[in-house]
Amino acid sequence: MSQQIVNTPIAGTFRWLKAGGTEIDVPAEQNESYYALLEKEERTIVLEDDAAAVLFRADLEKGSVLHLIQIRRQDGGPEGLTRTDVQVTCAEDAQFHWYRVVLGGDATYDNCSVALRGEGSSFTADIGYRLDGRSRYDANCEAIHMGRRTESAISASGVLSDRAHKLLRTTIDLRRGCAGAVGNENEDVLLMDETVQNVSVPMILCTEEDVVGNHGASIGQPDERLLYYMASRGIDAETACGMLAQAKIEAVIGKIPDAQVQARVREQLHGGDGGEEA
Amino acid sequence: MSGEKTYVEDVDRAFYDFRNEEKDVYRVRSGLTEEIIREISREKNDPDWMLQFRLRALELFHRIEMPDWGPDISGLDMDNIVTYVRPDTARMHTRWEDVPAEIRDTFERLGIPQSERESLAGVGAQYDSELVYHSVREEVAGQGVVYTDLESALHGEYADMIRQHFMKLVPPTDHKFAALHGAVWSGGSFVYVPPGVTVEIPLQSYFRLNAPGAGQFEHTLIIVDKGAHLHFIEGCSAPKYNVANLHAGCVELFVGEDAVLRYSTIENWSKNMYNLNTKRARVERGGKVEWVSGSFGSHVSYLYPMSILEGRGAGCEFTGVTFAGAGQNLDTGCKIVHNAPETTSYVNTRSISKSGGISTFRSAVVVTPKAEGAKAAVSCQSLMLDDQSRSDTIPAMDIRTSKADVGHEAKIGRIPQEAVYYLMSRGLSEEDAKALIVSGFAENVSKELPLEYAVEMNNLIRIEMKGAIG
Amino acid sequence: MAEQLLKVEGLTAGAAGKEILHGIDLEIGRGETHVLMGPNGAGKSTLAGVLMGDPELEITGGTAVFDGEDLLPLAVDARAKKGMFLSFQNPIEVPGISLENFLRTAIEQRTGKRTRVWAFRKEVKALLEHLQMDPGFAERDLNVGFSGGEKKKAEMLQMLLLKPSLAILDETDSGLDVDAVRTVSKGVEEFQKDRSASLLIITHNAAILSALHVDAVHILVDGKIVETGGPELIGRIGREGFAGFEERAEDAG
Repeated sequence: MSQQIVNTPIAGTFRWLKAGGTEIDVPAEQNESYYALLEKEERTIVLEDDAAAVLFRADLEKGSVLHLIQIRRQDGGPEGLTRTDVQVTCAEDAQFHWYRVVLGGDATYDNCSVALRGEGSSFTADIGYRLDGRSRYDANCEAIHMGRRTESAISASGVLSDRAHKLLRTTIDLRRGCAGAVGNENEDVLLMDETVQNVSVPMILCTEEDVVGNHGASIGQPDERLLYYMASRGIDAETACGMLAQAKIEAVIGKIPDAQVQARVREQLHGGDGGEEA
Repeated sequence: MSGEKTYVEDVDRAFYDFRNEEKDVYRVRSGLTEEIIREISREKNDPDWMLQFRLRALELFHRIEMPDWGPDISGLDMDNIVTYVRPDTARMHTRWEDVPAEIRDTFERLGIPQSERESLAGVGAQYDSELVYHSVREEVAGQGVVYTDLESALHGEYADMIRQHFMKLVPPTDHKFAALHGAVWSGGSFVYVPPGVTVEIPLQSYFRLNAPGAGQFEHTLIIVDKGAHLHFIEGCSAPKYNVANLHAGCVELFVGEDAVLRYSTIENWSKNMYNLNTKRARVERGGKVEWVSGSFGSHVSYLYPMSILEGRGAGCEFTGVTFAGAGQNLDTGCKIVHNAPETTSYVNTRSISKSGGISTFRSAVVVTPKAEGAKAAVSCQSLMLDDQSRSDTIPAMDIRTSKADVGHEAKIGRIPQEAVYYLMSRGLSEEDAKALIVSGFAENVSKELPLEYAVEMNNLIRIEMKGAIG
Repeated sequence: MAEQLLKVEGLTAGAAGKEILHGIDLEIGRGETHVLMGPNGAGKSTLAGVLMGDPELEITGGTAVFDGEDLLPLAVDARAKKGMFLSFQNPIEVPGISLENFLRTAIEQRTGKRTRVWAFRKEVKALLEHLQMDPGFAERDLNVGFSGGEKKKAEMLQMLLLKPSLAILDETDSGLDVDAVRTVSKGVEEFQKDRSASLLIITHNAAILSALHVDAVHILVDGKIVETGGPELIGRIGREGFAGFEERAEDAG
């Protein structure tokens, strides 16, 4: 184990927010992997808690597509904290898709940094989490737009209850030369009680004129009109919140391009009672 | 349209950019030592507690680190900053005729006494380290409204009130420049509005820094008592010098129960200014603070007015525009702490970057577990006028209660080419079309300002936009 | 008169401190279809919201008894479980929850039993066909990206599946949209097949009502019911509008 500062975003903010890097004990046991995708190659890689620390590097050649699916299960998996560091570069028209579901574990630290070097390359991140019982999710996700007409979409949604703590920094970095680039960030967090803490730092850094960067976030309790609507159909507030919470994760699961993984995660999510009987 | 672009050199700020010869002034040596602090304190005839306060703040200043998360301020060498410059002919005047001719002329060129006659309830004018003029309309004074310089207030009937509030919201421990302010503060205004009193037209303070290499450290303390209403306007400018000037003022606003305070600023410091200003408001039950902020000048700015919503139903509105041109790094935004139930905040900002300028919107919205039913909405939009500039948006939200509703949206982009095309098809030049669009973009602020200030702001935008097209 | 299902007496209510309903008396029997008409701003949607329990409305006086129980203290979901249904003008979009999942949960909550999936799906499929909706509709996220017409159909579908004893259809804004009129008519026609089910239809569109059996018509003006009569009132409103009733309301005030 070694003390390290992880998840440091490209730009910092007020010191008292403690949203800069986080100091942790990085586990000694590391699962290191490197992938070099050839032109037009397409691959899907699934990582389900094999190691406490994952170092993942990939270089994507022209037109290649990489799906990285990472699931932190509700039970099983390593004790204590897990740490992930994903660094990917994309050449022309390459696509990197990151699917990240966190359903449990004591503490999860994720860093995902994607350099969109080639023209027309793209990055999508779909992060879904359900945290409770003092669990902690701390992440930094950044899309670095260097090539022309590059695109990124970072989207996170999740639910916090029972002393859970979440800190998510997302950055769209639109660098000089990335004309025509589009970056989108979106975050949707449901807070279920008074003991949780949610910190969101969605940054857009820009040194190029002909670009579009957007961010939207919605944090808090479910919309009152929505609860009223559901109640008018006989669904009480607790059930409604539960459904909405599952919906947040479902939004991510639905995008996972592997049916088996989808099914496994759903099973975890619905606590083994099947949910979808048919 | 050709795709070519050219860039402005520096902006023509002739209107603000005149300077007076410095003569017959008293100034301390540059740098920061206990000796200098004692000298300032003696000059200002501080009560003893204030001297002790200054000395403690100085100690803190030496201990606290420079901020490491914002724009570079290494060009600011404290050893070269003169912290106290008193203009000639002593102290504060309440009759405009008594103000020294040269200073009078300065403010007249900036339109200050004129606007007083027309639309202000009271005016304060600070020149370098001291207030040179203060006046308040009789009918306003008759309502019990106090508007005076802080130094005289320290020795008058409000001495206790000041001691109770002075740097309680912004303690010198807050950050390095708050400590500096605590040590060397000079000038600024004290305003007290008694319970239930509505001041119908705004009060204004204008700050002018004339001395090269100097710092201005005015302290503004405003107490708006229960149910009272006030609009306070602050204007700042300075001529340009080749040496760094520093502004580290401090604004403390106490907004009582059901009181409303609007605090408007049009900041147009010269582009050698380091503007490291701290502004903070504390709002009690049902009260509201409204910040309206236009940042156009200075070389480097760190400016994040903070609102602490301390009572049930307290509210905050922040409306801002920042325009960073050549050589400017303007880091602006706001901080809001929801610390009571049903508090609300609404933030709406625009930033514009041009000719290599850097503008950063930085914010923090904190909702504590006490703030059940809090609502916060932040919206920030940025406009990039060329690909030599930089525009960053760095918001943060720290939410610790489920019964909150927090929304945030940010957008960044360029001037819509079709809008420029449309306006040009109606006969506007490209330059005018763009200036018009940028003025429209900044309308969130201009529509909140009294007319003459809105006009001044649009003038500033036009000046900044001029020559943008080759 | 049929066995009483809803009885409202002297109901006053409003929003944001302003009273909108100034003493409503209304009785609806089992199996009856009532129509509530009135000019814009009369308080028609407010009455519907008060009966369902809209949290934005405040009740300041009066009583309402529904199926033998005091309605006003009940939570919204309790009212729904008891058999009250309100169609929304602008149903809320719920990303991530499919229409089917939503419906199944609603039915399970209402009955307290797990639904039998295949029987449920069959029923949904039949109703979708009846309402001329795409069979894939049930898998879409609830109301997300639905067109106005699709939202209306989804509301009708819910009404038919949940089988309320009193369905309140707030069609205030439906205007003269031909498709919307057809959807509502079809839904109501199907709903009325259950002889014991009651309806309160809020509209000022006579076309919705043309093919329906109507038992009573109430005219609401300025927060008061100024006239109650038979279906013939619908034709009179069609010819003369509300002007005559408004004058009467002013006289009364």
